[in-house]
Amino acid sequence: MFIRRLPKFEHHAPASVAGALGLLKKYGNKARVFAGGTDLLLAMKKRALTPEHLINVKNIKALKGISYNDKKGLKIGALVTCAELEESPLIKEKAPALWDAVCVMASPQVRTLATIGGNLCSAVPSADTAPPLIAMGAQAVLSGPKGERTVLVEKLFKGPAESKVARNEILTHIQIPKQPERSCAAYLKLMRRAAMDLALVGVAAYVCLDKDNRTCKEVRIALGAVAPTPIRAPMAEQTLAGNEITEALAEQAGKVAGTVCSPITDLRASLGYRCDMVEVLTKRAVIEACSRVKNSTKR
Amino acid sequence: MRKVEITLRVNGEEYDLEIEPHRTLVEVLRETLGFTGTKKSCNEGECGACTVIMDGKPVASCLVLALDAHGKEILTIEGLAQGENLHPLQVAFVRQGGIQCGFCTPGMIMSAKALLEKNPKPTAMDVRKAISGNLCRCTGYQQIVDAVITAAQEIAK
Amino acid sequence: MAEYSVVGKPVERTDGRIKATGAAKYAADLIAPGMLYGKLLRSPLAHAKILNIDTRKAKALKGVKAIVTGKDFPGIPYGTRPDTRDQLPMPVTKVHHFGEGVVAVAAVDEDRAEEALDLIKVDYEELPVILTAEDAMAPGAPLVNELSKSNIAYFSDFLFGDIEKGFKEADYIREETFSSQRVTVGFIEPHACLAEVDPTGRVLLQGSKQSPYITWRHMCRALDIPVSKMRIVNPFVGGGFSGKHDPFDIDFATVKLAQMTGRPVKTVLNYDEVLAAYRQRNAMNAKLKMGLKKNGQITALRTECVLEGGPIAGIGPFNIYYFGAFQNVPYKIPAIEYHGKLTYSNRAPCGTVRGQEIVLAQYCLDSMLSIVAEDLGVDQVDIRYMNAVTSNWHAANGLIIDVSGLPECIEKCGKRIGWKESRTSRPKGRGIGYSCASHPSGVRLGGHFGSSVMLKLLEDGNVVVTHGGTEIGQGSNTIFCQMTAEVLGIPFESVIQGVSDSDTTIFDSGMFGDRCTYWNGNATIAAAKDLKRQLAEIAGAELKVNPEELEFKNSMIFHKERADVKMDFLTAVRRAYYEKGSPLYGRGYWAATDIDIVDWKTGRGNLAHGLDFIATGVMVDVDRETGRVTLIKGISADDAGQPIHPVMLDGQVNGGSAHMTGHALLEDCLYDEKGRVLNHTWRDYKQPTALDTPEYIVEHVHTHDPYGPFGAKGAGEASSCSSLAAIANGIYDAVGVRIKDLPITPEKILAALKKKEGK
Repeated sequence: MFIRRLPKFEHHAPASVAGALGLLKKYGNKARVFAGGTDLLLAMKKRALTPEHLINVKNIKALKGISYNDKKGLKIGALVTCAELEESPLIKEKAPALWDAVCVMASPQVRTLATIGGNLCSAVPSADTAPPLIAMGAQAVLSGPKGERTVLVEKLFKGPAESKVARNEILTHIQIPKQPERSCAAYLKLMRRAAMDLALVGVAAYVCLDKDNRTCKEVRIALGAVAPTPIRAPMAEQTLAGNEITEALAEQAGKVAGTVCSPITDLRASLGYRCDMVEVLTKRAVIEACSRVKNSTKR
Repeated sequence: MRKVEITLRVNGEEYDLEIEPHRTLVEVLRETLGFTGTKKSCNEGECGACTVIMDGKPVASCLVLALDAHGKEILTIEGLAQGENLHPLQVAFVRQGGIQCGFCTPGMIMSAKALLEKNPKPTAMDVRKAISGNLCRCTGYQQIVDAVITAAQEIAK
Repeated sequence: MAEYSVVGKPVERTDGRIKATGAAKYAADLIAPGMLYGKLLRSPLAHAKILNIDTRKAKALKGVKAIVTGKDFPGIPYGTRPDTRDQLPMPVTKVHHFGEGVVAVAAVDEDRAEEALDLIKVDYEELPVILTAEDAMAPGAPLVNELSKSNIAYFSDFLFGDIEKGFKEADYIREETFSSQRVTVGFIEPHACLAEVDPTGRVLLQGSKQSPYITWRHMCRALDIPVSKMRIVNPFVGGGFSGKHDPFDIDFATVKLAQMTGRPVKTVLNYDEVLAAYRQRNAMNAKLKMGLKKNGQITALRTECVLEGGPIAGIGPFNIYYFGAFQNVPYKIPAIEYHGKLTYSNRAPCGTVRGQEIVLAQYCLDSMLSIVAEDLGVDQVDIRYMNAVTSNWHAANGLIIDVSGLPECIEKCGKRIGWKESRTSRPKGRGIGYSCASHPSGVRLGGHFGSSVMLKLLEDGNVVVTHGGTEIGQGSNTIFCQMTAEVLGIPFESVIQGVSDSDTTIFDSGMFGDRCTYWNGNATIAAAKDLKRQLAEIAGAELKVNPEELEFKNSMIFHKERADVKMDFLTAVRRAYYEKGSPLYGRGYWAATDIDIVDWKTGRGNLAHGLDFIATGVMVDVDRETGRVTLIKGISADDAGQPIHPVMLDGQVNGGSAHMTGHALLEDCLYDEKGRVLNHTWRDYKQPTALDTPEYIVEHVHTHDPYGPFGAKGAGEASSCSSLAAIANGIYDAVGVRIKDLPITPEKILAALKKKEGK
């Protein structure tokens, strides 16, 4: 009922992915992967989780670092913190929507700790990094007993606080494909407070424009906090695809997006308000993404 | 539970400790080492009172396992002044009304210190963003923002 | 205006360095040898009979030293007033609200104490819950408080002036209802205390307490010990805002555990416990009916107010009284009828919050004024200026306003925020809200309301000040040192602040209601004059002049006409100590005995000196699509008489403005249908951050209060009182919708906009 000191646990700090997988196999459901800890430790203080073993992956070098490759695009290690993403010129340039997201997450002192892998694996519906990653077509790379497998971030979530990362797997990194020319994404987050808050609604829009710089060649819209998991809004995408993106069309796409979400009424906002806000934020995110494309091609 | 041996470097001094794994950094700082300048209030990373600087970055020390601070440079409010000479941030907080009850002050100053490390010439908005994880109920934040900007100017001199 | 050497100057606050370096010790930082750690097991239910408490397993846990329940106390109720003694230290027969402390444990460490809580089994029988004032007053409603015969804890009915005539003379009458939610107090330091009992049975309590005198008296009564058997020493206190006046379950339990074990016990709450189970502001429902002349002059006001206050009366009687009494300022209203009720409920117990219930009264009054101004086509600033209380005003309830800088405040604030210009052009979605307020510098609520200060002059010429008010951040320690230095003509640095300790500090009724600067300030002056008189006698004898003709300045004592007849301040001190063997103490007390004690029945009388005034303008932007409100700028022009410390005064004004930003827009203590708190963490309870509050600017209007210390008035709470309506009025100005039930959420704004646009 109330927050307490941490419960006791056994601590393990493997130095390699293989070592971590070995420990996961050994302790099964009694173990939890411990990265940034900002969600896990709090859940433990509330006694919502009481793992007997914490597998601290922070010593695993393979899970760290941001790199860019002209063929494969961006590779972000699961242990990369929100603060590292925020301060990375590479992220700001190559994945501005992700940068939008990390800048408005939690607080600076939490962003230093929270990792992108943790944000995805915690799988809360309002996870801020999910919509931009989904919109950019990012993939999660998982390591397990049978080797590596790759899952679209879009397909990574099962339900509230439940991801498809199996208990014997760990998320090693995120791969964001190289973004085509004349494309960009944007993420907008609506909060009750101006900082230190969870998203009431989060919308990421990715657009790729045709050579005319007006017609929408490709589009992905991802919504956060309005369904049991972060979701795509395919109907809204269809509204835009192949058409010239005007404010009116963006508004129409917003209206469609508002009908596909299935939010709940909770302490933070009502269902109706959340749907309305999906409309507004979708419209704004699409327009923002387009204007980013136009600005970058002007240069 | 098996205890672990760690070395904490706090305010430039090394401490060899044997701790239980479930001890948070704020607990070890306050209860084991007696650095009670770092405050604890919500214990869930939502108030900023326990903010310290770890390897140059602000962290909520209630969300850090002490064993993860092993070998890292920790700076707490107690390590800011040089003898009797207060850090320019401390001077400005005192002079400009950035302090009232003082309970949020250590965390607030540490957040401000971390900001000035990476941005020596912050705007008022930069300061507000940097301290947005530190709740204060007394001051209304205005005089804290003013104090941080004054301190930045003082340091630049 | 007099020229002062220390008063009015931005000296370094006495605790500034100590707090800036982390050296300040708050209750949670204290350590006593052999100390045990206390923890409380809290009720998961809001209203339930306690059938059985089984502590056997917990007692058997290694390291557990004592366990306390309500039955361990003598069963003597306590309360704010003799007629509202409705509280027990811990519950005995039933629990009254979610999170109420039911059992307390002391163990050798915190982990062990927490573990013990899990081993305690409490059997409850659920009772129907009362959550609202309406529930409480419904026929046949179950009684919330077993020590009271009714669910109405207190009521106030007042009639000031000729109400019928007032409404008859009105050209325009309008009625409106307003409501306000439960909000928490919001200080950052959670409740904490350390209790020790010596072998003679004397208790030492060091806790995070705002008004130690209140805690001391209530605790000794309920523990059935004489006040001499308990000593209260205040460590640094991390904010109060009226949330730390009285003793709580944590204080009683910690003392009892220390008594049982003979060892020091420290209990420190986690903040979620504070949010769930400790003091909140009353929920309010109010109905106002205002009559005005065509030009905007108010002729009459009829107000009904119902406050819902949790399972105790607490200081609720004062709250319901304040709501009615302070409709008499800051506007000239010749006739006021008031009906107020305070009800019990099974939500968290209420105290009050910064600005007391004047905050709510003023929210209603100034929202109403904006509504009628628009109806009548009168400018928002003009209507306030026209009705503003002026100097030497006798209000309908008998309150005498000696000095009012309000008209000047209104003018200054309007200019600074650009009110006139904004009427011709402003960006879409932008608005300016205006509101005024007034707050007394400490009302005389009872005969024991007084303030005392003791000065000890050390043989090195420095003075130690002790006062019964409490430093909770507002800067009282600093200003009393300033005042002492000013009177004695010595440097500010020569005055030291001593600890607040019930053994050495003398009596004071507490730190609330803007009374500290005023009441303790006058007591400080009296104490310094007492000391000055003693030194003047010593110097006069040696200099062979009439002591009354001596002046004190620049650490010298000299004849007011013959400057060469002089003596060092320090020499006079040494004469006392080294030649007469006589220590020097200055003793001063002050109570506004020339005014009336509050008449609880009629509400009439001249109840307070030093009404401080404020005019607040807030510039807001409202996003029409999301309903989000962004505050751009907040201007306050305040009349706090002579500022004693201008920088700290700014801080008081800014702090109140930001605090109420939370109340107006963000904060809301939510309960489910069973009375369980839903958002008792700071993740879900939204106090404003630095990004939620705007740039604040304070303008001072200097006046001189004839009774205040150096002409000062109280300060700090008026800005809380003006801020809610200013924000509400600003939102209306921006997008034309008025939300009359706080908090003003984006959802409510959006719904109102849709309704207005016929969607």
